[in-house]
Amino acid sequence: MRHCIEVRYNDYCYMADSDITRQLPLPPAFFHILIALGDGERHGYAIMQDVARRTDGKVRMSPGTLYGSIRRMLDEGLIDELTRRPDDDDERRRYYRVTRFGRAVAAAEADRLRALLQHARATGLVPRRS
Amino acid sequence: MKHRAVAERVFGLVLRLYPAEFRDRFGHGMTSAYRAARMEAAARGRAGVAAFWIGVAVDALVRAPGEHVMMTLYDLKFAARALWRAPVFSVVAIATLALGIGVNTAIFSVVHAVAIQPLGFFDPARLVRIWEKNDRLNIAQFSTSVPNYLSWREHGRSFAELAAWRSGTVTLTGTGEPHRLGRMEATATLIPLLNVRLRRGRNFSPAEDRPGAPRVAIIMESVWRDWFGSDPSIIGRSIALNGVSHTVVGVLRDRDLVGTAQVLTPLAPDLSREARADHRLSTIGRLRPDITLAQAQLDMDAVAQQLARQYPESNKDWGVRMATFDDWIVPPEMRQGLYLLLGSVGLVLLIACSNVANLMLARAALRRREIGVRLALGASRLRLVRQVLTESLLVALVGGTAGVLIASWGVPALRAALASSLPRAEDIAVNAPVLIFSLVVSVLTAAAFGALPAMIGSRNDMTGSLREGSRGSAGAQQGAARRMLVVAEIALATVLLTGAALFVQSFLRLQHVELGFNAKHLTTAMMGLPEARYPTDLARQQFYRRLLAEMQAVPGVEAAAMSSGAPFAGGNTGMPLKAVGANALGAEDMQADWRLVSPQYFRTLAIPLLRGRTFDNRETGTHGAHSIILSADAARRFWPNADPLGRQVQLGNKQIFQVIGIVGDVRNLSLDLEPRPAMYFSSEQILWPTMTLIVRSSGSSPMGAVMRQKVAALDPQLAVFNVRTLDMMLQQSAAQPRLTAWLVSLFAALALALAAIGVYGVIAYLVAQRTQEIGVRMALGARRVTVMQLVLGHALRLSIAGALVGATASALLAPVLSSQLFGVSPHDLLTLVSVPITLVAVAALAGSLPALRATRVDPLVALRTD
Repeated sequence: MRHCIEVRYNDYCYMADSDITRQLPLPPAFFHILIALGDGERHGYAIMQDVARRTDGKVRMSPGTLYGSIRRMLDEGLIDELTRRPDDDDERRRYYRVTRFGRAVAAAEADRLRALLQHARATGLVPRRS
Repeated sequence: MKHRAVAERVFGLVLRLYPAEFRDRFGHGMTSAYRAARMEAAARGRAGVAAFWIGVAVDALVRAPGEHVMMTLYDLKFAARALWRAPVFSVVAIATLALGIGVNTAIFSVVHAVAIQPLGFFDPARLVRIWEKNDRLNIAQFSTSVPNYLSWREHGRSFAELAAWRSGTVTLTGTGEPHRLGRMEATATLIPLLNVRLRRGRNFSPAEDRPGAPRVAIIMESVWRDWFGSDPSIIGRSIALNGVSHTVVGVLRDRDLVGTAQVLTPLAPDLSREARADHRLSTIGRLRPDITLAQAQLDMDAVAQQLARQYPESNKDWGVRMATFDDWIVPPEMRQGLYLLLGSVGLVLLIACSNVANLMLARAALRRREIGVRLALGASRLRLVRQVLTESLLVALVGGTAGVLIASWGVPALRAALASSLPRAEDIAVNAPVLIFSLVVSVLTAAAFGALPAMIGSRNDMTGSLREGSRGSAGAQQGAARRMLVVAEIALATVLLTGAALFVQSFLRLQHVELGFNAKHLTTAMMGLPEARYPTDLARQQFYRRLLAEMQAVPGVEAAAMSSGAPFAGGNTGMPLKAVGANALGAEDMQADWRLVSPQYFRTLAIPLLRGRTFDNRETGTHGAHSIILSADAARRFWPNADPLGRQVQLGNKQIFQVIGIVGDVRNLSLDLEPRPAMYFSSEQILWPTMTLIVRSSGSSPMGAVMRQKVAALDPQLAVFNVRTLDMMLQQSAAQPRLTAWLVSLFAALALALAAIGVYGVIAYLVAQRTQEIGVRMALGARRVTVMQLVLGHALRLSIAGALVGATASALLAPVLSSQLFGVSPHDLLTLVSVPITLVAVAALAGSLPALRATRVDPLVALRTD
């Protein structure tokens, strides 16, 4: 069942499983953000740092890219914003976490990439793992 | 420390590039991210800092616009969904705007083609039309003579080039049936002056523009195509014009020339054969780059004064008048008429905007809960204003698109209707500039009808609106705004309806104007006898005499006559005239129109013979009596208290004629011009190169075919052209006033309907809002009449206020119309009073429907609901 609620200026829907494929292929920035939030909630700058650390500094998101992606991911329902935060933290700082839908989409994207990799190996484009 | 402060300021500026909503949500996070990234960069040294700032700049330039686009797309999507959910509102609003924008697009396409689009000539601002004028004879503009044109060339210092032409017709033979073609006898300077490139061949050489030179011609592309099958070897080919062989030297595109000529031959001015008083030449000039029109006017005034001293006989009192090509081709009154039409459709659009604004306010009232919820959830007021404006923009754009479709459907009809009465009407089209106009109008329209609802709708008191059914201060504001809009609508409709009423009256007066002749059952046809085959006046007169006799014998023909020009055929011939002996004007002359007519002319046109006799065989041949017939007006001016018969008059060319008859005054040129003094000469004595055959039939069946047949029986080589009934010519003369009256009436009807819908909407809303109150009143014993009075009172108050404002505005604006009206004052009291009364009546009628519904309110039901 589709259940829509209206938040601020845009609508989003918690989507049925069939809607997951509509998100694919996931933009790389989205996937990086989902990975960064995979093991717990983080605020924006922490996401940037996590992405940079995981990729040995090869992927450095600019604040514009990060927050533009965050806004779209919030709208799509891939992540949501925490209403509670650590007591000693700056109250203006916003924390984000992956939604169930976001996890489902990330899993689907991982499957897609895995299948792609298998195809690449099957054709000999990429060497098989020893 | 200082660096950090600067950096913080830059971060603030970068954030300003993003939409406010985005900034509010993520501004803090972004600033901290920038700050941390800058610290990291600083650790990498100068190169790191430089790379960081470049990154910040790129980020801002790429991401911020993207966010704006996304935001707008979200807004549009939201607006589309909201409109989809309110289909009745959407359809009514879009249809209203489509009509408003549609008529504006259509009328703008006319204004653009005729009055705005630059003329298709090279550097048209420097092109001027030059006339002679005579203030004493009250002649504002007149053709010049060949000697004067040559003197202007010699003495004028303001022009890079001057050119002149004489218009006429020629018969083209040797290409099947003989064809009558419009001909310009032009100077060799005409084509270089207009700076047009010939399609083929070359211009006349200066040597060919001299008397006695070999005969050459330039033909228009349409003639080349229609009569010569676009023959590629046309240049050098010989064609017969009026039976005389001419060598084709060039082909010119039809639109590249001024006027409607089809053939150009050299003027070859021959001073020995031209009189200075013979005004038949049209003149244009190209100003030198350093000369303004005013300077050129001064220069030519001096030249005219010099010529008046040198040739007082012909040039005394004659001056020079000049106008730019723009003002010549589209006269200022016509331009003003077009802008008036545009203004009236502008008013229609304003009324449409008020109506849609009203609808949106009503809708905003219905959506108060939704807006309240959104405000409670933290949406900013700016955000809501933006949302309402986006919705307005979407409605306006959809309405505008539909409007453009309506216009592109109506424009071909408009073009056809205007073709005969407007210059450049063939250019009327829905083209790129017109589409840009429609887009701009749509956007402005959205702002016009969206602003008020957006401001008021977003000023929602949260707690009040969340309680279902409450009426907060925003509701009261909405009510006031809606009433104001209705007052404005009625005022605008009053202005338009007043204008329409004046135009219709003006048109009706034109239709009932006293012509001085009976136009029913008259058919005219023009012909010209080529000199090659009819070398003498006698031969020509014999032909016309035989033709008239043949026509008279046709069954159903009541009378037939020849004239040098039928009334309303376009074109005019005039000459100064003075009375010999004692008369009221003394030695002063009077400008009078002249016509060469056959004896039966007055009987054929049913122009009353007031005194004396018409021409007969005494006025035959060059040795016949020098007799003249004057119009009543001309005679009255010379001899107001004496018998004009037998008196003598002297023409501009010194010839003396004796008055033998006085006939009624006739409108010859235009319905809105008073009859001018006129004189008539016998066509048995003098002939004009082209003559018009006029036939009155007993029935309404047109005689054109019989006329062609009879001419062909006498001379199969002769071209008959401009076969028209006089009714057609009169209709043509009234075409523009008819169209203006028709269009303005249409717009006024549209305005009236929209205003009535507006009143209905507001009163219906009022009734719906006060159902409970009305129920209580009725439960307490109020009679239906009292309720009716209560509701209708509102409608009446609004409409009377609107009508009063409208009547005042009409009275103030009326003088603008005066040049466009005939026989009716722009301050016509009856119109200024009756139109507002009509509007109040219509508004009351529109308000009476919801008022009636109010009287049927069941007190029990009303009290239970709400």
